[in-house]
Amino acid sequence: MAFWQLIRFRVIYPLVLFFLLFLDGNLMSSLGGVLNHFPFHILPLLTLIWLFYAIEFEVTNRIPFWVYVVVIGLLFDIYYTGILGSYTIAFLAACVVMERLRPYFDERLMSGLLLCLIGLIIYLLVTYATGFIINIADVSLGRFLLYELVPTLVLNIIIAALGYYPAWSLFQVLS
Amino acid sequence: MRKFFSSKTAVTIIIGFFVIVGLIAGSNWWARRTNTTPFFQRFMNDLAGGISRVISVPTNAVGKSADSAGNLLNTFAENKKLKSEIDSYAQDKVRLQTVESENQSLKKQLKLKETLTDYDTVSAVTISRSPTTWKSQLVIDKGARAGLRKGMPVLAGSGIIGRISEVNTVNAKVALISDTSEDANRFAITIKGTHGDVNGIISDFDSERGQLVMGQITSSNEIKKGDTVQTSGLGGVIPAGLFVGKVAEVTTDDYGLSKKVYIEPSADLGNITTVLVAVSHMETK
Repeated sequence: MAFWQLIRFRVIYPLVLFFLLFLDGNLMSSLGGVLNHFPFHILPLLTLIWLFYAIEFEVTNRIPFWVYVVVIGLLFDIYYTGILGSYTIAFLAACVVMERLRPYFDERLMSGLLLCLIGLIIYLLVTYATGFIINIADVSLGRFLLYELVPTLVLNIIIAALGYYPAWSLFQVLS
Repeated sequence: MRKFFSSKTAVTIIIGFFVIVGLIAGSNWWARRTNTTPFFQRFMNDLAGGISRVISVPTNAVGKSADSAGNLLNTFAENKKLKSEIDSYAQDKVRLQTVESENQSLKKQLKLKETLTDYDTVSAVTISRSPTTWKSQLVIDKGARAGLRKGMPVLAGSGIIGRISEVNTVNAKVALISDTSEDANRFAITIKGTHGDVNGIISDFDSERGQLVMGQITSSNEIKKGDTVQTSGLGGVIPAGLFVGKVAEVTTDDYGLSKKVYIEPSADLGNITTVLVAVSHMETK
């Protein structure tokens, strides 16, 4: 029993991460009428929010966090884009920046959400930039900011706020 | 000032950067070059597709009820309009059946076997859609086992939405026509004008207007707003007569030498729940 208490966080955290990776895609397709209503292009980024919780609640040292980030990035690339590396670097960049900036923020909800906001912006900007490396970018920066970045941030900040305390207590219970 | 990186981290970052750029360029090149997915990727995709399918049951149900709640609002006006349209469809159906049987008997007399208008459809359900900035792909629940192959056209609602970009054993990915990468939207199409047809290919997708672009048209045949656009079957892979959309605007290109036509796609590319994959008889031979 003691052993399970020791490792349960290490098991449950990646399982949820894995589940959210697929949930993002399912939400994108099943709620397409809302999220993809032309000209909007709103992305559910639950996976990134779950990674943010680990950084915000300072549990990254108890799990092989960076391994999870790379693995989830690679899975994302294999399953969703077929181009390896593009989202791996986006997940990594967002997590590295959030991790580095974490000491400058305190535990309150609002400053936590600000940190999450920075992570989301980094993630979206990196994905926008990788579109230029492989020459598939066809949306101007202005439209990207207006119809994708801003609505995506609004949606995901709300989700992050709703899940903030539940995630916090879950992490407390598990560890 | 606090040091952000140690020199060891800096070296790791530089190496990591090159590895990732190499991976992106390499896998993009590989995907373009081959028709088959590498085994590892295929295996992972099949596995991921299975999990995705389970998760999609509740999320699809939620999405469906949200859609139907939205539809309820304009049901009355829509119903009135549809009632007036349905009478003409009954007439068309009878006519289609007569013409089809006539067509078959004529083909028999000419000893023609399969032509470009003969195709079967495989229906599939969308189980996932990539939550990505670029290359929005769908994952559908039919794959190589159902006879799908890379490059086949995919229909939803009333028209074409894209083509199969990757085939795994039990699922496949669809690149949408709104995707300007690779050859996702290079369909050979024909505009049915009042004074004869105009052939060409879809050359681009204008994401600012949400419309397809058919460029470099030198034909002098008149094209009007509202003319129907369908696949022409030229090239032999895509069946002829699949509905693409309607002409939205005709302009001349930047040099004034040729025409440029904007086409409003008939299917809603944002919300795709079920699809049909057209399998040409010519191709299966």
